[in-house]
Amino acid sequence: MVAVVDIPIIARGRVIMPGDDAVEFKGRGGAAFRQADPHQHIHDLVLGDTARMRDLHDTPMAEIIELLAELGKRLSLDDNPLMQESFALALKAGGLAEPILRGVYDALPQMFSAAGMTALVDRTIGLDYIDGWVPSGGEFATVAIRAIGTRQLHITAGNVPVVAAMTIARAGLTKSDILIKSPSNDPLTANAIARTLIEIAPDHPLTKHIAVAYWKGGDEFMDGQIVRTSRIDKITAWGGMSSVRHIQKFLTPGIDLTALNPKYSMSMVGRETFASDAAMEECAIGLATLAGFYNQTACANTRIVYVESATDEDSIERVVDLGRRMLRAYALIPPLLSVPFTQRNRELEAEMEAIALEDDFYHVEGDTLTGGFIVSKFNDRVEFFDKLNNRVVNFVPVDSLADVLKWCDDTTQTVGLYPESRRRGLRDAFALAGVQRLVSLEGGDPMTVYGNSHHMPPGSPHDGIEPMRRSVRWVVDMQPARQAAELGVAAE
Amino acid sequence: MAGSFLPDNPSAWTYRSWGELMAIPREQREALQLEAVRISFRRLRDRIPALKKLADRQGVDTIDRIEDILPVCFDHRVLKNYPIQIIENRDFARLTGWLDKLTAHDLSRVDLAGLTTIEQWLGRLEAFGMLVTYSSGTTGKLSFVPRSYDELGPWKFHFFNVNQASSGVDAWTTKLPTFFPGYRGGYQTMLKMMSLFNVEMAGGAEHYHTLYDTHIPADLMALSGRLQAAEDKGEIASLGLDPALLEQRRQMLAQARSRDGDLEVWFARMIERYRGQRVKIGGTFSDMYRVARAGLDKGLRCEFAPGSIIEGGGGMKGYKDAPDDWEDQIKLFFGIDRMGNQYGFSECIGNAPLCKAGYFHLPPYSVPLLMGPDGEALPREGVQTGRLVLVDVIPLSYWGGFTSGDEVTIHWDGKCDCGWDSPRVAKSIRRFAENEGGDDKITCAGSQQAYNEFMAFVQGDA
Repeated sequence: MVAVVDIPIIARGRVIMPGDDAVEFKGRGGAAFRQADPHQHIHDLVLGDTARMRDLHDTPMAEIIELLAELGKRLSLDDNPLMQESFALALKAGGLAEPILRGVYDALPQMFSAAGMTALVDRTIGLDYIDGWVPSGGEFATVAIRAIGTRQLHITAGNVPVVAAMTIARAGLTKSDILIKSPSNDPLTANAIARTLIEIAPDHPLTKHIAVAYWKGGDEFMDGQIVRTSRIDKITAWGGMSSVRHIQKFLTPGIDLTALNPKYSMSMVGRETFASDAAMEECAIGLATLAGFYNQTACANTRIVYVESATDEDSIERVVDLGRRMLRAYALIPPLLSVPFTQRNRELEAEMEAIALEDDFYHVEGDTLTGGFIVSKFNDRVEFFDKLNNRVVNFVPVDSLADVLKWCDDTTQTVGLYPESRRRGLRDAFALAGVQRLVSLEGGDPMTVYGNSHHMPPGSPHDGIEPMRRSVRWVVDMQPARQAAELGVAAE
Repeated sequence: MAGSFLPDNPSAWTYRSWGELMAIPREQREALQLEAVRISFRRLRDRIPALKKLADRQGVDTIDRIEDILPVCFDHRVLKNYPIQIIENRDFARLTGWLDKLTAHDLSRVDLAGLTTIEQWLGRLEAFGMLVTYSSGTTGKLSFVPRSYDELGPWKFHFFNVNQASSGVDAWTTKLPTFFPGYRGGYQTMLKMMSLFNVEMAGGAEHYHTLYDTHIPADLMALSGRLQAAEDKGEIASLGLDPALLEQRRQMLAQARSRDGDLEVWFARMIERYRGQRVKIGGTFSDMYRVARAGLDKGLRCEFAPGSIIEGGGGMKGYKDAPDDWEDQIKLFFGIDRMGNQYGFSECIGNAPLCKAGYFHLPPYSVPLLMGPDGEALPREGVQTGRLVLVDVIPLSYWGGFTSGDEVTIHWDGKCDCGWDSPRVAKSIRRFAENEGGDDKITCAGSQQAYNEFMAFVQGDA
């Protein structure tokens, strides 16, 4: 018997618990939830009157950041029962093992550091621009520009709880009114953060501009009610298709869609790797780290490794050797980043078993518990590459790393590279092909490799775009130039 | 009195009437099936290289209980576990080498000289004695069923039998002019069965009417994804395909665009020409509904003679937002009460007709098992839901044990209300993968395909 978890609708500072009109829905792993019927609460979720954003608009960014920093401190798992509930549910959903998930939750407060958030706003929008009208210099002194908050719908992804935290932080940092549509596989995290905010500052403008609810993807009534130019300016859609598919019908000019669509990541290994045992080992550790961190649930995880290698028996044997070293290196990754799985991935194992019968074309080793690899004995990836998971990686021999370009496009997010000496020759061609991030497999130990691939300044581009900059409205205030001339005279 | 059946020769079971097959008492049927599975496995274990490899890996040599067969059933993916590259390169030697591991025939003797297309390759195999057909999934990758002439007889007897069971018409004696709103010819499983069986059931080629007299070549099906990607990049020429094939593709795409209109015009002609006659209408239910809806909107009704039948399949796949009463609307428009339906897959000869009580009944030569989420065999009693595994005991030239991608519910016990005694599959059939995840699970790690769907959606095509 599965217990039904009651989750509230968060409506701009109010917590609406499910009552007699509650609706039930299912999450991953058979979890069941009850929430007040969102159909009855449309007006609690949307903001039709933009004048009501004035309170947030007039709040200085420093004050918002101070509150968010305070919120961050309260998100610790140790003493926040709401976060504990969210954590327990995420754990049950089974996407991430306990030590990893705990690490992710433990890192949430750091996302709200005052210094980090200040830098984020300043680098992407500019503190002056979010707090006031900034005159353009020189002969354009009469033209002022300001970043204005918008009304946003966020269709969030549930595979990593970071998304919920980031969305709430960014709402404040852009002085925007947000409605978060929770995913069925993580309906609690955004909820827990918003409720914590209500606890510490129930009447603050920031609190008054956050709404969180779940409704079923494809609920035309909801989408039709919400996605209107009179109610929403911007939509950010994360991840898979199913729950945003129908919103498309309601998109009209005037609503800006930022589609952070599904991404795929890979690594490239140059032939230099096979020159020494030390290089093989360093590369294998790099691969294990990029494939293994967060147990391969993130878009940035390597799933395919293109290797500069011939396809004769001896060459393939060397690639198999690299794969075995990678499997051994999984054991070196601290449990905070990666652990063996406790449940098999039957679907993937069925794919692996089906091609294991074909040893003319494939070499298959390992499983979906501790990890595994498939070596293609020809120049192509397996056709089920989009199912690669559970630390299972496909090694694909190529004549030259430049050949990998044909598999790259806008869906290719992160590419790991070994050795570094190849970077210059490849960077621009891969950037043109659509790749969004080039990271390194060098380092020789998992924490170094992981650190190098995650050490980015605040406000760095995400999936090739700058979401913060895009989620505000850039408004131009133009006074007559004559007045400027007079001002100019007066100043003399 | 129950009939006598030998486990050594399941092919001969197909010569018996459906009624006889559905009257074998459970105990006798299960004993017969176990023995037939044992014999089939023993005969083929070391003769089919892919089966030998799997059985060696799993350490299965003999079958004591029916559940023992589970680990040596081919996953449905095995019939397409070749690299797509060998199709792209039209490497017929390697493709033949791959297929050779699935059949008892020695395909190394097939003359591959001069082959340029997969269609030709399938024709060459047929001349050699094979009856290889293909089906294609959403990815376009072809899955090849390694059937041969060794199975043709029982395949045909079963097919006539199962059609009589679902429609009430004995096609050996009653020939009904047939309309099928699709293509004609080629080796796609359903189309090959049309030329092998349905045309004869209709009383000859002149009585079998299709929307188009051509078919989509296997090559175009197999390369659809690759061609689209190449076209996007302006690289079609670099694929080195036969220009005739590209021209065919252009025509097919044009045909697809005009299909809905063609379908209506063609059906209108058939309806007029066969007014007052007894006919059979085949095809997918979504096409039938499309035609019925268009006709009903114009206030039209067909006037076929009593005893006409509809034999459909495919559910309402391909039709968005179908109303709950789509079946009634189809019956109303065509003026036909009897709507036959069958469930099965191309890997397995013995598919299941829908009975009057609304269940699909498996014939005794299709031995069902259900697999639980951890790959375990579910009990063969009561009502169980799991992944459907069928052991087809008819084939002599290939191994008939297959694990499907379908999740089904089987009622094992008691006689069905319709009077047939056999394991029966409920109509609620779903692709297994759809079950995983919640109502609308979202994750940011994705794939090209998800991306394409996404873009189609963003552009308003979805």
